Order: sequence, then C-alpha cells, then structure tokens
Amino acid sequence: MVVNTAATTDAWRRLQFFFDSKLHVRLESIIVLAALGLAMTLLSPFFLSVSNFLNILLATTTIGVLAIAATLILSSNGLDLSLGSVLGFAGVVGAYFCVELEWPWFMAIVGALGAGALAGYINGVLITRLRIPAFIVTLGMLGIARGVGLIIAPNGGAIYGLPAPVVFLGQGRPLGIPMPVIILAIVAIIAHYVLSYSRFGHHTLAMGDNEAAARATGIPVESLRRKLYTISGLLAGMAGLIFMARVNAGDPTAGYTYELTAITAAIIGGTSLFGGKGSILGAMVGALIMGVLQNGLNLLAVQSYYQQIAIGAVLILAVCIDQMQSEKERKA
Amino acid sequence: MMKFKLALLASVVAVMSTTAFAADKPVYGVLMKTLANPFWGAMEQGVKAGADAAGVEYYLQAAESDQAAEPQLNLCNTMLERKPAVMITAAINSNILLPCLKAANDMGIPVVDLDGNLDPAVNEKAGVKIAFQIGSDNEAAGAQGADYVVGKLGADAKGPVLVIEGLSGNITGQKRARGFAEQLKKTAPGLEIVASLPGDWDRGKAANITNDILTKHGDLVAIFAANDGMALGAVETVFAAGKGEQVTIVGVDGNSDAVKSIKEGRLTASVAQLPYLVGKQAVESVKLVAEGKEVPAVVHVPTMVLTKAVLDAGTEPMLEFVK
Repeated sequence: MVVNTAATTDAWRRLQFFFDSKLHVRLESIIVLAALGLAMTLLSPFFLSVSNFLNILLATTTIGVLAIAATLILSSNGLDLSLGSVLGFAGVVGAYFCVELEWPWFMAIVGALGAGALAGYINGVLITRLRIPAFIVTLGMLGIARGVGLIIAPNGGAIYGLPAPVVFLGQGRPLGIPMPVIILAIVAIIAHYVLSYSRFGHHTLAMGDNEAAARATGIPVESLRRKLYTISGLLAGMAGLIFMARVNAGDPTAGYTYELTAITAAIIGGTSLFGGKGSILGAMVGALIMGVLQNGLNLLAVQSYYQQIAIGAVLILAVCIDQMQSEKERKA
Repeated sequence: MMKFKLALLASVVAVMSTTAFAADKPVYGVLMKTLANPFWGAMEQGVKAGADAAGVEYYLQAAESDQAAEPQLNLCNTMLERKPAVMITAAINSNILLPCLKAANDMGIPVVDLDGNLDPAVNEKAGVKIAFQIGSDNEAAGAQGADYVVGKLGADAKGPVLVIEGLSGNITGQKRARGFAEQLKKTAPGLEIVASLPGDWDRGKAANITNDILTKHGDLVAIFAANDGMALGAVETVFAAGKGEQVTIVGVDGNSDAVKSIKEGRLTASVAQLPYLVGKQAVESVKLVAEGKEVPAVVHVPTMVLTKAVLDAGTEPMLEFVK
C-alpha cells in the first residue's frame, strides 16, 4: 500500500483504527477478500451475482462454524485438532438417532450437538484435570471420534435418508437464503459479541495472553478452559449437523482434515496461533477468502493440481500481507 | 499379584496353542486399504465367504484410511512376520507396498493384487512378481456410465456435463473419469464436459462443486461422479435447486445408500462394482495358485449399471452380489 500524502495516511489510519477497535476485525483481511473478489469478477462472468454469492456463503458454512470454534480455542492459547473428526462423529450420531433408532427428528439435532459437546467436554477435562497438552489430547480425540463414528455407521458407510425437518436445516431456503447460512450468521454474531465484548471473552483473551497473570487476577482458568473446549465440540457438532443435513446423510468420513482449513481461516482473519488475540468476524472473512477462491477456481474449471497450488499460494500471501502491516505498525 | 501373573501366563499359553492348532489349515493374509468404506466392508464379506467355501483361514488387516500409505507398508511387513500361505493385498498406491511384496516373493509367498492398484511396469522394475490381479475395470466402469447417460439422453443430445473426480492424483478416480470422458466423446459429441473438478471423495465438496457449476451452466444435463458418496452430494444440491428432473446423475460403486437413493428416484444410476464377488473370487483363485494351477494374469470382475428399473424388477442375477 503506497500512500503519499499525510492526509490519506491519516484517513487510512483512522479507518484501520475503526475496524480494529470498533469491529474487532483487521482491515487488511477485508482488503484481501475484496481484491480476490475483484479478480474473480474480472476472470469469470458468472462470479458476480446474488445466487453465486449465496453459493459461496453456503459452501463456507461448515468451515465457517469450525473456524469460530478454532478462533475461540486459539484465542485462549489452546488447540483443537479434533474439529473435523468430531464433525463426522456428530453427524453419524445424529443420523443414527433419527434413522437407525427411528427416534423423532429433533433427536438428530440433540444427538449431533450432544455428541459434539461431549467430545469437547472430554477434551477439556483431560487437558485441565490431567494436564495433558491440548495438542496430544485433541490429536487423540481426532482418532477416537473418527473411529467411533465408523463403528456406529453400519459397515463404515453413510446413514442415508434423514427426516424432512432435518434436511430442511441443510437445504431449506427461507426468503431465498440457505438455512446453513442463517445458522452460521446467528452463531457468528453471538460468538463475535461474546469474544470481543463480553466478560467471558475478555477472560478468554487474557488467559490466552498470559495464563499466570490471568490466574493471579482471579480468573478461574481451568473451568474457563473446560467451557471453551466444550463450546468448541458443540460447534463442531453443529457443523456436523449442517453437513449431514446438506448431504442428507450421516457420513463417518465427513470433515476429513477440515480442522486444518478452519484453523487456517482463523489465522488469515488475524487470530494468533499463540493466544491472546482473536476475531470471529476476522475468521469469517478468512473463511470467505477460502470460499471465494474455491468457488472462483471451480467456475474457471481449473484443473485439480493447479487448484492446490493456487490455494496454497493465496493462503501464504494473505497472511504475509497481514504480517507486513503489523510489522509496519510496530515500527511506527 | 503372583496369581494374576500366573493366570496371565496360562491364558497366553492357551492362546498360543489355539493359534498352533489353527495352523493346520493354510492361513491367508489379507491386507486392505481401509475398512472405513462400505466398498471394503463388502469386499471383506466376500473374502470371508470365499475362505469358508475354500476351507482356509484368513486374517485381515487394513490401514486407518485410504490415505495412510506408510502405515499400510508397516502392516504389510508385520503380516510377513506371520508367514501367511498367500498375501492378498489392496495397495493404497502403486509403489508403497513394493518392498514388502518383494520380501514376500523371496519367501515364496504368492501375492495377489486385489482391486488392481499396482502397475505392471513398476512391478517389473522393482522385481515384484504378482500371481494375478483381480478387480473391476475402472476405465470400463466410467465408459459404462457414459453409455448409460447416452442411452438415456440419446446419441444426438446436446448440453453441458459435469465430471466430479476423486482425490486429486488418485489412479482409481482418474481411470473412471477418463473412461467416462473418452466414451462420451466417442458416442455423443454433443454432450460437452464443461468442467472436470476434484471432489476429493468428499460429499460436501461435491455438493459445493455442483452448486458452482449450476451457477455457470443452469442448463446442465448430466453429472458423472467418480464415486457414489460424491454423486449423492451432487444429488442433494441438484434437488435443492429444483433441477432433479433436468439432470441425470451417475455415480460409481453401488453402495447401499446409493441404492436407497436410486429407489427413491433421486440418484439416476450407479455403476455398481461387485466387491463381494471380487473378494470371494480372489480367495478362490489364489487357492488354485497355491495348488499349482494356472490363473489368468488379470481377472476382471464385471460391473453393472443399477437403475430404478433394474432394482425394482430385481430379476438381474448379479443383484445378489450387490451388498
């Protein structure tokens, strides 16, 4: 960004300050998203339309919900590698309840969210009570949740054919807006408020910044951590619910490696890998950057090997721009 | 504590002696890619049926996912330690198991390439000898999918077609997509493949790709997906967009959830592989090899197109093997 006159520098600074301190999202990541959107608009005549915009949002929902979980956990200087596996496990449990056991449809929701929260709670208990590093606990859960999901699903296959109200959660379009997008929007707004404005959020960030200092000021760090991991699992369960409703099946292989995409989205959005800094809106922008990129590459029918290269390059570039900007600010 | 240890020792001895008894029958080692997929589940059932019929014992192992190449090599090496009479292996890729299979050759253990994941040229370079290869012909399965689409839409049909490939770089998915594309070009040049994109065997990704392509080509007439899971993801998107009548969707595998969807009139067709039959025939044929008889180098187990009509009629004799 080359800015010549003092006046524009000042305006830029003020805009930056507004986004940073009022909206708690970095201006740079929004600019990367806008630039990517502009590039795709120029490259494909099909990119810029309301229906394609909704496509992108819809395609971003599962990663978006997981990115919220990843942001909360990373902000607290934690790590949850089990997100993708818990997504798959939760979907299978939900589908198992309403298809195999023939329980009423809402038990699919109870099952998916409950299974996710349970997995997250177990993560939290093991991390705080037994003092096992989060990396190890959640890596273990990554395997356990995937394995249990595969055992529950008959023959390792998907449980197909969900009740209509459940499918509505994934495929319904009230007022033309896909249900998963509405769910993501509501969850993101609540989570953004909680992390950036509530006491719970302040405690989370304080703990992520310096756990000893947070403990000294009387923040109950252990119970806070357990809550965060339970919420993370609950959100993974919600992503599992959305996934299963979209594809009309509880698929035990769903969400394979999604945790990495979610963590990447959070980091692109300005969340620190080392705690103390996090933004839900930023994570949504990060998830959208990846969604726009994938959508554009599909519209352009780019061949698979080149897609991988393009995605990798944009990720590095996005974080690079953000880093350079932070560096400049530190020097200024 | 002492008593406990004695009991433990006793049970270990007991277990060891039962294994010794079982060794009267020849023991076959079966190494699969994964069991996290109904395809391999059905294959296992076929192996079991084949082993029961042939009067042999077998033990089966599989990697945790069909991406876990190195763990599969470790499983293979461990399997050799038990000195099986034959090795039936479904390699995750064409090179990972070669050192282990070479060792099996040196020990005089016949090796079967289950599901055809090895490359004869690479085998020769590595000095690995395969008794025979058995499985479905993936390229032919893709072509069968194209034949079905052309049969349904007509040879002079026109319109955009989407191909959803498997995991980027995976040979099975590539063969199916290629078989479909080449046959379609030959038999119905008016049907144009407007995009061939990697769905990575992921239902959700396939659903997203379908959404993206429908945006660009609202008049899409057909989708071919390299497996059923992805085809079912596409089905949900197409029906959610209200275009279920317009788009012919074909998957590959013949999984139980695909069968359900076909019966409901959602998925149009699936080129069913018959993994049950593959597993059963693999055991039966390798028994012949162990007895010193001849078996052709490549055994193709047929694939069949499942449609609502075929399933509703239920008269096709091969339906028995669709699990």
